[in-house]
Amino acid sequence: MGAPVLEIDGLRKSFGGVTAVNGVSLTLEAGRIYGLIGPNGSGKTTLFNCITGLERRDAGRVLFQGVRIDGLPPHRIARMGIGRTFQIIRVFPELTALENLLVVTSGDRAAAERRAQELLAFVRLDRLKDEYAGNLSYGQQKLLEFARVLMRDPMLVLLDEPAAGVNRTLLNELLDAVRALRDQGKTIFLVEHDMKVVMGLCELVFVLDHGEKIAEGPPGVIQADERVIEAYFGR
Amino acid sequence: MKRAALLLLAALGLALTVYPLYGTGYGVRAMLQLFMWVALAGSWNLISGLTGYVSFGHVAFFGVGAYTGAILIVRAGWPWPAAAVAGGLAGILLALAIGWPCLRLKGPYFAIAMLGLNEVLRALVSYFEGLTGGGSGLSLPTLDATFPIYYAMGGLAAAVTGVTYLVLTSRFGLRLMTIREDEVAAEAMGIDTFRHKLLAFVLSAVAPGIAGALAARDQGYIEPISVFPLATTITMIVMVLFGGKGTVWGPVLGAVALFVAQEAVWARYPYVHPLLFGAIIVAVVLLMPRGVLGLLQLRYRLPRAI
Amino acid sequence: MLGQVVVSGLLVGALYAMVALGLALIFGVMRIINIAHGPLLMLGAYVTYFLYQGFGLNPYLTVPVSMAALFLVGLALERTLVFRVVDAPELSSLLLTFGISIALVNAAQLAFTSDLRAVEYLTGAWVVGPIAFSKSRVVAFVVAAAITALVFLFLTYTRPGKAVRATSQSREVAMVCGVNVGRVYLLTFGLASALAAAGGSLIAVIVAIQPEMGQIWTFKSFLVIVLGGAGNYPGALVGGLLLGLVEQLASLLLTAQLSEVVAYVLLVLVLLLRPTGLLGGRQT
Repeated sequence: MGAPVLEIDGLRKSFGGVTAVNGVSLTLEAGRIYGLIGPNGSGKTTLFNCITGLERRDAGRVLFQGVRIDGLPPHRIARMGIGRTFQIIRVFPELTALENLLVVTSGDRAAAERRAQELLAFVRLDRLKDEYAGNLSYGQQKLLEFARVLMRDPMLVLLDEPAAGVNRTLLNELLDAVRALRDQGKTIFLVEHDMKVVMGLCELVFVLDHGEKIAEGPPGVIQADERVIEAYFGR
Repeated sequence: MKRAALLLLAALGLALTVYPLYGTGYGVRAMLQLFMWVALAGSWNLISGLTGYVSFGHVAFFGVGAYTGAILIVRAGWPWPAAAVAGGLAGILLALAIGWPCLRLKGPYFAIAMLGLNEVLRALVSYFEGLTGGGSGLSLPTLDATFPIYYAMGGLAAAVTGVTYLVLTSRFGLRLMTIREDEVAAEAMGIDTFRHKLLAFVLSAVAPGIAGALAARDQGYIEPISVFPLATTITMIVMVLFGGKGTVWGPVLGAVALFVAQEAVWARYPYVHPLLFGAIIVAVVLLMPRGVLGLLQLRYRLPRAI
Repeated sequence: MLGQVVVSGLLVGALYAMVALGLALIFGVMRIINIAHGPLLMLGAYVTYFLYQGFGLNPYLTVPVSMAALFLVGLALERTLVFRVVDAPELSSLLLTFGISIALVNAAQLAFTSDLRAVEYLTGAWVVGPIAFSKSRVVAFVVAAAITALVFLFLTYTRPGKAVRATSQSREVAMVCGVNVGRVYLLTFGLASALAAAGGSLIAVIVAIQPEMGQIWTFKSFLVIVLGGAGNYPGALVGGLLLGLVEQLASLLLTAQLSEVVAYVLLVLVLLLRPTGLLGGRQT
């Protein structure tokens, strides 16, 4: 079994007077799909930012495969095997689709190009490989970002609202791709508002409210949890 | 198509190489100046055009190179080619010294730090009067080296353009561009943006350092105001913005266009010169932010390394 | 000696604080670094000079005039040029304001020539014990402090002022709350220009006036913001005073020439060690 893929212990992050993440602890095992839900402003993206090093946490530890990564710069964390997409798409608009993927790699260029072509084919963007990423449609950019995340073959993939603004067909393709990644032994952790996606895809769900973890469990159980219902709909 | 371009390039190179044999003294000196501007503009493009980090104090490398070269020639009797190399090294050292702390900062902070650099260097030159001659400047022993310096500057200009081409066609260049596009995403993708910025910055300081030393030798005399003028940075910026930042030939185009315009028209009205340049910067930023070549590149889907 | 340093430092510090507040407002509200800030100060100084020279006006009475004039200039600049780069990449706004600053300086050179001008109005100092209080600097301090206080009152208690603060914190939320963000930008830029002008008018009595005098003020204003924390407006006050003190201390220990180097090194150090400013502010 070995060490869990991700271990978060007492993570705390404040911005000025606002505590965005307040002592959150959780553990992710390999080869499973996890969900992170909670009302707006509950600290989900901040948690992702702390894990990937984009924000410096105030307290707590983050361990990736048993190694402490809190305090490391984002590019180091990415190279260790954590990939992430963003809530608002961040492709490189003036690079072509192919270049967006290529830029992530170093080493043998020919091999890198082959892998990039493969991934583009995987997300059905290969015929657009020489198109500037900025000219692609929203859905296409979303797929491109997803493919880009996979270029480094990460062990842990963080997806921030993958279903946002995506039509049904594309969404199903995306979900199938996520399941395929899980079957390869990767761990997926996704933030999502679309409950159908969460219920259908995730094996275990964590719920955040006002920066604190208020529940964790399989989706069916979470749905019925009183605290979760309160958090979303109020008393 | 590519073969025709290469032939054209070779022809141009040949013409420029034999020019001194046929050209007038004035012509050779003018071309020498033009080569210098191509090298300077191309260097500014390497850092600011590619990464989007605006280097407002880039003339600092030129000045440092000029003083290093001049001091070595005057006080230590070095031959000017060696002094030129030393000028380049001085540029590298300054770039490391400034870049190491300042490139950790985000774009706007770096820009302001570079803005202050000029003032600081001028103050330092005045302070170390014994070495630098202070405000009264430094005179070099007379030497007519116009022809060799013509070739040296020409070589420098060609080298800068060549390096830009190599960078733009490599993944290193792509990664520099991601810093301009979205630095946060670049970091999240595993790109060590600090190292890349520093490397580009150092690379962009070599040619100005060498050019400064060569210019000092060519002019025979330097003083703080002549080698640290804000106008030089402004001109570099205008040339690249106009020609097309982030391209290979953009800085060359900008240098040629503005140099010619400068010689032909504005030399007669020196006082309006900076005002015009300020207006051009404003106009280009608002109307044509990618410059001439950048616009063509986008419109006609030209290759990246144009 | 130390007492003199502290006094001189605080006196000039208020001036730094007021001018920097203008830059801080533009940075906080519009996320733009206005490199033309210094040149606007220079124009304020010239307004005072010409009113003094031409009409014999008490230079301190020209402060409202130069503030009003540059307020209008600021409005014009924002309305025609600056608003276009508010949402553009930082490179664009940096270059744009840079271009404007060159144009302004050179226009001043053409219009006024580079000859040094001076407003010889209040010379000498009040001596209290071992410490000399330069008269012009004391008046500058008082006026700057008063203007700064007024600005803070404006920001805290008036509707437009609150709109400015709201936009500075979050543009989207401000818009949703019905704030006309376009007008806030106009107001902010105009106000900042007026503050720069006030600084220029006050400094006109103290130093020589020439077209390039403003450039170093842009840099120092930025340094003040960095010291106090970006987006932290009261921080600009502390930053200004701090810069004044450090400068005076440096020129005591080193030569005056190197005080600029000291300011520069200070900037780099603070940016490296505490990028959110000494008082904590927002990171860009």
